[in-house]
Amino acid sequence: MSKTYMCEPDIIAANENVMPDLNNDLVMAKNFLKQQCAATGDTLYDHLVDIVHKIISQRPPDVVDSFEQYSWQVKQEKFRPNFDLLNDIYLSPPQLAIVRRVDEMFRLVASKSQRLEDVGEEEQELDLEEDSFKPRIADLIDHNYYFREGGYGLPDSECYAVYIALNMLAIKEPVATVRFFGKIFGTKANYYVAEVDLTIEELDRRIREFEMKDMPGEGEGLEEDKAQELEEQKEMVGEGEGKEEKPKEPVPPKLPEIPVSTFQPPPPIPVERPGQGVNKKVFYVCNQPGEPWICLPDVTPDQIRVARLTVRCMTGDLDAEVLTFPPFEGTERNYLRAQLARIQAATSISPQGFYTYGSGEEEDIDLEEGAGDMAFNPNPFYQGHTLKDLVDPNLTYWVHHGRYILNQGRTIWWNPNAGMEEGLEEEDDEGPPPLTPESGPSLFSPLADDARLEGGVAWTPRSSTSLLPDRSIAVLRSNVWPGAVAYSNVGKKSECLYVGWGLKAQPPNFSPLQLPRPQDEYVIGPEVMEMADPTFADEEAYRIAHLPPPPPPELPGEGEGFPEEEEEED
Amino acid sequence: MNVHKLWEYKEYVNVNGMMLSSELISLLQNSLTLLQVENHFLHVQYWGQLYAIDADYHIAVGINNDAINDRKYFYTTDFKFWGLLPKAKKKYKHLSLLATYPFRGDPSLKIKVLDESLEDTNPDRCQQMKEESRLAATISNICEEAEICARGQLLKQPDGTTVINPNYYGLTAAEAKHLKSYQHIRIPQHRWNSNLLTRPDYNYSVDFLDSVDQDIPNGCWNLSLEQNGSVAYLKSLYWPGMMYFHKIRTPEVGFLYVGNGRKNLDVPFLL
Repeated sequence: MSKTYMCEPDIIAANENVMPDLNNDLVMAKNFLKQQCAATGDTLYDHLVDIVHKIISQRPPDVVDSFEQYSWQVKQEKFRPNFDLLNDIYLSPPQLAIVRRVDEMFRLVASKSQRLEDVGEEEQELDLEEDSFKPRIADLIDHNYYFREGGYGLPDSECYAVYIALNMLAIKEPVATVRFFGKIFGTKANYYVAEVDLTIEELDRRIREFEMKDMPGEGEGLEEDKAQELEEQKEMVGEGEGKEEKPKEPVPPKLPEIPVSTFQPPPPIPVERPGQGVNKKVFYVCNQPGEPWICLPDVTPDQIRVARLTVRCMTGDLDAEVLTFPPFEGTERNYLRAQLARIQAATSISPQGFYTYGSGEEEDIDLEEGAGDMAFNPNPFYQGHTLKDLVDPNLTYWVHHGRYILNQGRTIWWNPNAGMEEGLEEEDDEGPPPLTPESGPSLFSPLADDARLEGGVAWTPRSSTSLLPDRSIAVLRSNVWPGAVAYSNVGKKSECLYVGWGLKAQPPNFSPLQLPRPQDEYVIGPEVMEMADPTFADEEAYRIAHLPPPPPPELPGEGEGFPEEEEEED
Repeated sequence: MNVHKLWEYKEYVNVNGMMLSSELISLLQNSLTLLQVENHFLHVQYWGQLYAIDADYHIAVGINNDAINDRKYFYTTDFKFWGLLPKAKKKYKHLSLLATYPFRGDPSLKIKVLDESLEDTNPDRCQQMKEESRLAATISNICEEAEICARGQLLKQPDGTTVINPNYYGLTAAEAKHLKSYQHIRIPQHRWNSNLLTRPDYNYSVDFLDSVDQDIPNGCWNLSLEQNGSVAYLKSLYWPGMMYFHKIRTPEVGFLYVGNGRKNLDVPFLL
């Protein structure tokens, strides 16, 4: 049978034949398939044509398995309106905002380097000036290469952008050295953190500002605070009275005085001045490379204390509220700074001998600080260690170069009694006993002395490769601050990096600080002790003893506890 | 993550600063391809790394006909010998959550776990467990709570089996911003119709898994778009170290766990 299919005009002619015919059936079926769906105006025929067309043109594998999916996709594509009035408007890609900012950064850095070149060619005198200001930027790209060898680090794209951003920071802000500290994840945005040393002028300016605000350790601030508090209390009392005076008609009963709290908060621990202790380094953060760097404020000991007692995720917004117990003074800006101080103190490590005390350009500054805050510099005579020493599980060849933060929240112990002796001399007799100064591990103490986690060690050393021992470097990973790593190669390179949530591992888990007891029980003493009521015989004896004529000698042991009670009864 | 695509995924993977080094990728690709051939797996995925004191565990998953029920987990410490992880017993799953000390790196090590919720006289208070069982239990816990995929990545066939969608083409930028577009890889625990009907554009073959947005508390998954909004990252707060990435509008997806195998119980305090 010849299978010549008919075109549509022939259908009418064909219909005149009454005989059953394959062509006829085919046309009927075709017509059925071409029935328009009432809701969408679509026909199955067209749909199948589209599917077959799509499958033939795209040639996906195993199409029978995902045929339904395909059919669905075809339908979805068809219903996309292509007569949108907004079609003419160009919708810029969502990345545009970021790209603009990064572009600005690139221009700035490029223009700076261009200018440096020009200056170098033309004016030598100016060049010298520029040179003295030129900040040292740690070579992130180089360090990142080693970190990546060891299995850590940043992706290349990110690393490059961050490095440019560090250059921008060095151009825009008064900084002497710049180092990439790490990345802190947040729930809405992440922070890139740069750790910098300020230039000497800027540091001096900040120290002056700091000293204007309050003199640490002199107690002036304390007295002012106390005076303020008293005033506030007076105001509160005053307000209370004022309110009661208004409804004067029903004469209020005379109220006893409102008790004033006798609690005196312990004197606040003074903040370490800029350039000292926990505030030695200044941190700049931004959410995206290319955004302006924001300088974090200096950290106070109280903030460190609270940060140690709480856990919290960063949100990515520096002005976010920090709701914790005990209450945290400040916004996320301060919280982030406190966490950074803690991380820096715990995870700044380097091979033994990598840094050495003093002997740098800033020697005059160390002498002022005292022994607890000695400055250190890279050791020019550092020769490196062998890999076997560096990955030794006892970790005696690795030392901390971050200063240990004492329980006080400072790195240099502050004697709370020193201020008191000056201020409160009349109370000398009951002054607190001299305190033993807190002390922690000294600078450059080996990691072997680190506090051990439950059942484990604080740092895990690994060698980066097992196949190529010549290329291998030592990588240390912190178990206390997950995300903190440090590397050192056999030569003279070493660096630390932190990429993580800014949370300390606290096995088994964090338990919040318990509320203090609402009120202490009254101290048990003779006046609240229960004792037997006097019997009639006792009272008689007492009465006889107190008769108007001069009393006969008292009976020993009796009436000791009673006189007061008797008086009250009277 | 698909083992054969590790080189391409290298740039996207970033868990707590951890990146795949070239040596790790080479070793994994070699040994896992051999493992795939030996066991006749359709897919082999690199699952992640568990930190231990002496030697870290590396975990791989072999997938056969069914992408949910037919998964086999393997572990190794040296990339030479991959051991099959036993099926996790319920008892050990419980005990592994209680064990606080880190893994040792020796699967045959026997450890003792103290269950402090039981009374002193209860014989079950202190129980022994092999580190291998602990590893299996920990991984099974993580899988149940934190193994995820994008919507459409897994397809349910009419015969009830689940397959990895060979024609998966990724989420759109708008979809990728919603937690609802990500699903748990596990036997669904919610009712099938609640999973299906909470979407306006439901699809029987796709919406049969529990979506991530129903996890408690809200915010325990951290979704972020990075690299100029082209890659979506999901990080679990309960299992710090679990990271899922998806390059938008491409079939490039994968998850990786790198961590110490401890569940973070502080999540309510963190948010």
